[in-house]
Amino acid sequence: MSERPVPPRHLWWLAAGFTVWCSALVALYAIHGIGCAFGWSTGSLRLWLAATLLAHLILLGWMWRDIARSGPNTDFGPTGAFLHWAVIGTLIAALVATAITFGPPLLLATCI
Amino acid sequence: MSEPIEQPSQGATALRLHRELAAIWGTGPGLQRLAAVNHSIIGKRMMITSFVFFAIAGVLGMLTRVQLATPKGDFMDPETYNQVFTMHGSMMLFLFAIPMVESFAVYLTPKILGTRDFAFPRLTAYGYWCYLFGGTILTVALIAGVAPNSGWFMYTPLSSNLYTPGVNADVWLLGVTFVEISALSLAMEIVVSILKMRAPGMSLDRMPIFGWYILVTAMMMIVAFPPLILGSILLEVERAFGLPFFDPTRGGDPLLWQHLFWLFGHPDVYIIFLPMAGVLSTIIPVFANRPLVGYRAIVVAIVALAFLSFGIWVHHMFTVGIPHLALAFFSLGSAIVAVPTAVQIFAWLATLAHGRPRWDVPMLYVFGFFFIFVMGGLTGVMVAMVPFDWQAHDTYFVVAHMHYVVAGALAFPMLAGFYYWLPLLTGRAAVHRLAVPAFWLVFVGFNLTFFMMHLTGLLGMPRRIYTYQGDEGWNWLNLLSSVGGFVMTIGFALVVIDLIVQLRYGRRVCRNPWGSATLEWAMPIPPPSYAFASIPSLGPGSVQIAPGDLALSLARGEGYLGFARNGWQETLGVHMTTGEPEQLIVLPQPTYLPLFTGLATAAAVLALLFKFYLLSLVAALVTAGLFVLAAQRAGLACDYGPMPVGHRVSVPPHTEVAEAPAWLALISTLVADSTLFTSLLFGTFYLWIAAPNWPSAIAPEPSRMLALVAMATLAIAAAAARGSMRAVAAGGKASGWISLAVLALLAAIAVAVGSIAGVVPHPREHALGATAAALLFYVALHAGIGLLFLVSNFLRLGAGFIAPRRILDLRLTRLWLDYTFVTGVIAIGLVLALPALVTVLGARP
Repeated sequence: MSERPVPPRHLWWLAAGFTVWCSALVALYAIHGIGCAFGWSTGSLRLWLAATLLAHLILLGWMWRDIARSGPNTDFGPTGAFLHWAVIGTLIAALVATAITFGPPLLLATCI
Repeated sequence: MSEPIEQPSQGATALRLHRELAAIWGTGPGLQRLAAVNHSIIGKRMMITSFVFFAIAGVLGMLTRVQLATPKGDFMDPETYNQVFTMHGSMMLFLFAIPMVESFAVYLTPKILGTRDFAFPRLTAYGYWCYLFGGTILTVALIAGVAPNSGWFMYTPLSSNLYTPGVNADVWLLGVTFVEISALSLAMEIVVSILKMRAPGMSLDRMPIFGWYILVTAMMMIVAFPPLILGSILLEVERAFGLPFFDPTRGGDPLLWQHLFWLFGHPDVYIIFLPMAGVLSTIIPVFANRPLVGYRAIVVAIVALAFLSFGIWVHHMFTVGIPHLALAFFSLGSAIVAVPTAVQIFAWLATLAHGRPRWDVPMLYVFGFFFIFVMGGLTGVMVAMVPFDWQAHDTYFVVAHMHYVVAGALAFPMLAGFYYWLPLLTGRAAVHRLAVPAFWLVFVGFNLTFFMMHLTGLLGMPRRIYTYQGDEGWNWLNLLSSVGGFVMTIGFALVVIDLIVQLRYGRRVCRNPWGSATLEWAMPIPPPSYAFASIPSLGPGSVQIAPGDLALSLARGEGYLGFARNGWQETLGVHMTTGEPEQLIVLPQPTYLPLFTGLATAAAVLALLFKFYLLSLVAALVTAGLFVLAAQRAGLACDYGPMPVGHRVSVPPHTEVAEAPAWLALISTLVADSTLFTSLLFGTFYLWIAAPNWPSAIAPEPSRMLALVAMATLAIAAAAARGSMRAVAAGGKASGWISLAVLALLAAIAVAVGSIAGVVPHPREHALGATAAALLFYVALHAGIGLLFLVSNFLRLGAGFIAPRRILDLRLTRLWLDYTFVTGVIAIGLVLALPALVTVLGARP
């Protein structure tokens, strides 16, 4: 076997995409709660929410591009290729989930 | 028997090996059975115990249907009805569903992954005893007429002292938390075992899909249970000591309970579903005669499902007054969670469509699952839509939906798996003349019972009412629902009869009766205590496993560890991703310690229940002492270096490697712990922003000096732990460093406890003081557990278990104290910040 073992820390990447999704949920829910509690104006609250969402989308897009561009490390053999595919799958799923879950609600009334 | 005839010499080799291994791995007869730690025994016990609780909960469900069969029913009075429906839900969820899926995982996972046992057999046994004792407490309370009566999700303020003054709610809070200890301990065990203990060569991309399902489920449990454990502790503390976390008149908020409960409650649906989906993904390819379609897509779907299921807990709270924008986050999340579920459904359908399916009893239940789960999923998308949910909330429509997704997603795959793996457990086949009618009775009865509830719900029947007047238009629907319940019960009774008949008269089957390609069939049936006489190896070229041929080879000892050595229970530890052999894991043998530890834990819980707090503290200390005692018997007391494990491979024992199972186990524990801590932080901030009268609270004035002392002592303890590690690694003595760490932790505990005594406002007067006290108590508790680590280090150093090549204990202590320091700084920092937070509240419009 000339393949190198995939380092166990690479497994964390399987959770990376949806961890960002969770981060977006926590951040948006918290900002919304604080904004409503402290009477922020609709415009500034919506702006904060949109900026937060955009930051998470950019982060996910960057992660996807970075991982996809580097391609699977052939030194890691089929296990590495499998994990690479799975990580990209989770990143795309997380990106789509973030856009669908948190994008349209920003058009709604903020604190009613 | 159609198997090839073995050569006599090879047969003799296999028999000799069997006798040697059975002597090492076996559990003694009579009372020694109570010392069992073997996963096969514990798995079977969990299955039987969970089915007993299922039967009890089923009877309770039938009682509710008798009560509701006709209007103005007087079969039960309202108080009894409250206890019956509360216990039906609680038992089904906490004492049947979760333990049952865990029992499948415990019994099957090591076998499917090609290893001999789990990484921590004593923890498996302890988990079982906690489950049994916790479940028994709840059952005895039911018989005594003091069972929980506030509904299975125990909403405050109904479950608070004011409205539930007896012990009913305490029974739920303490009993369920006790059972959750079992679930958490087993989840950690499963994560470590799947990642570190597979057949050599079983890289993650070649792991049976069942392993992925169970791995992700166990990880979900590690994160899902702590919020409920925290909520239960806080509510019990409120009920017992008057700290008002959920009392709005004193700065608490009842909605905090709902958040903490559903942070557990919604993922729990998937915690139940995913292992059953793993069962389906294992069974369907076997009966379709082709490999599973979309293995990689399913792995991605499982990961997506695991995360999405956590982010939609608020869809249980659509009617509590949350602004529309926030509701929409959770509404959309609830809708898209259907996508990864659908990926799996289509993968199963594609597997069937591209294969040559054959019908047998397990496939009948697979069909039943498809029908029922898809219906439940569709009504799930309906109630995910906020306007519809507002209409259907707390009606029987939700009861129907929940039973379709939880009961359907659980019961039908469970029975499919039950019939599929029964030949493995018993060595016999099902009796078709009973199994087939049993299926149809369960299927028809289930739909008759629960489909009608959609209609009663849409007609406005609220859940949990104990009777109705008869002029609402619900009469015949309720009657049919009750009739359906009895039909379903007859079906389940027939399944039980089938099992008994099968055990007594069932046709003996040859190994691997279904033609499966997973490793659990590559062993004698029923499986021996050691599972595999030698551990299978998945060579680089072997794509499809042939369990029949492999079994004979393994029985002759031609796999890894095909011999007995030193009377040790040996198995292999592998690299997490590639599955290459990495360490020799020596497992502990049968012991009564898990039973005694479980009994001590039960004593602590019971003493709390009856408000004997000093006794409870003593029992808790005994429990901690037994854990320390258990640690004294773990590992090896001298260096062995690499030892041969077969196939010309030598690996060191687990005591001499960096990636030992215990290391990963502590990381898993800390993940669970940090989830609980994060939930506590969330609770603090939630009360700050949402509770009604925080702005009027007296701003606390915590002592900055004391806080700095606490942080400094925690830092010293963490640094001393590093010092002890370096000292031992260099061949020196560590007792000085350990003593320093002990002193630092004692000082930290003293400061934290002293600070709790000085919290303003008094923790009983306002939730502000209560949360500050909770944060400080968290710090003191972790410093206290750190002391236990250090005591264990002392004892094991003296006994020779810790040496320059064996410093795992010290690494574990360092990791714990690092965690204690980091969380301590955050917790104390938040306590210091509370005055500023209260001041900020005063400035809002």
